[in-house]
Amino acid sequence: MACLGSWPGQHGRLVRLVDAGQQPDVSALPAMQRRRLSRLARMAFHVAWPLAEARPQLPMVFASRHGETPRTLGILTDLAHNEPLSPTQFSLSVHNAIIGLWSIQRGDHSEMTALAGAGDGLENAVLEACGLLHDGAPAVLLVIAEEAPPELYAPFIDDVPFPYAVGLLLTLGDDWQLQLNRGDGASSEWPHALNLVRALCSDQPTLQHHWKSRQWTWSRNEA
Amino acid sequence: MSDLQLEIKTLIIDALGLEDMAAEDIAADLTLFGEGLGLDSVDALELGLAIQKRFGIKIDAEAKDTRKHFANVASLAAFVSSQQTA
Repeated sequence: MACLGSWPGQHGRLVRLVDAGQQPDVSALPAMQRRRLSRLARMAFHVAWPLAEARPQLPMVFASRHGETPRTLGILTDLAHNEPLSPTQFSLSVHNAIIGLWSIQRGDHSEMTALAGAGDGLENAVLEACGLLHDGAPAVLLVIAEEAPPELYAPFIDDVPFPYAVGLLLTLGDDWQLQLNRGDGASSEWPHALNLVRALCSDQPTLQHHWKSRQWTWSRNEA
Repeated sequence: MSDLQLEIKTLIIDALGLEDMAAEDIAADLTLFGEGLGLDSVDALELGLAIQKRFGIKIDAEAKDTRKHFANVASLAAFVSSQQTA
């Protein structure tokens, strides 16, 4: 995984980003293909595209706990008002719509999976990706993405301080271990996938994440 | 270009999210689906819904002429005016 030197390391100050409704740049795609991409899809594409370069066949695991909450609310609002549903919105309302669009636009028929895995979706997605690797895939693309919830849902969603997406390209190796044990602990205040990125970009040797009674321990193997 | 044709072009751009496109980019005789503009079957449903809402007309998706009416902006405009006066 490539790290930018300017990224804050383990001791860098965390900055809570302000969501001003910016749209990630996906201008590499023709306009006719861009038009059905929600912001969540654009975020996912934006982090995934460079990792998939020169890999026309790349299995993918996409994980999002909350998915496209703005779209869901829009459809439910139309329903509540007895308005006919937009066929486009409806066709994109399933959790695997983003990987479907990805597959179509890249012409990649590799195995792709969309997960919604509670508070430890990242770890469950890594588990899924490891399965694909051990099944013979040379590399697996992992994308974690969350969209800011609409105001109506905001009181019920406390783990998306701002919209974010993380893309990882996983290959078999011995650099890191991920272990699951039974254990309780505070879940991190920061989106966990971002904690992992910080750990990967620094010398941080271990990282722990708790959800319910599950304790996930990431540890860097000694070289 | 008639006002109705212009209205339909703008409706196509707005309803189908055609970023970076202006009404003058869509010629009245440009094929909308498949070739030409390159719209697909989901667009057909979306455009059908948008036309019904905007002009208050009914479109029978099963009718064999529907495909002809949706060939291009000119044929759509002719269809809409015939339905409105009907």
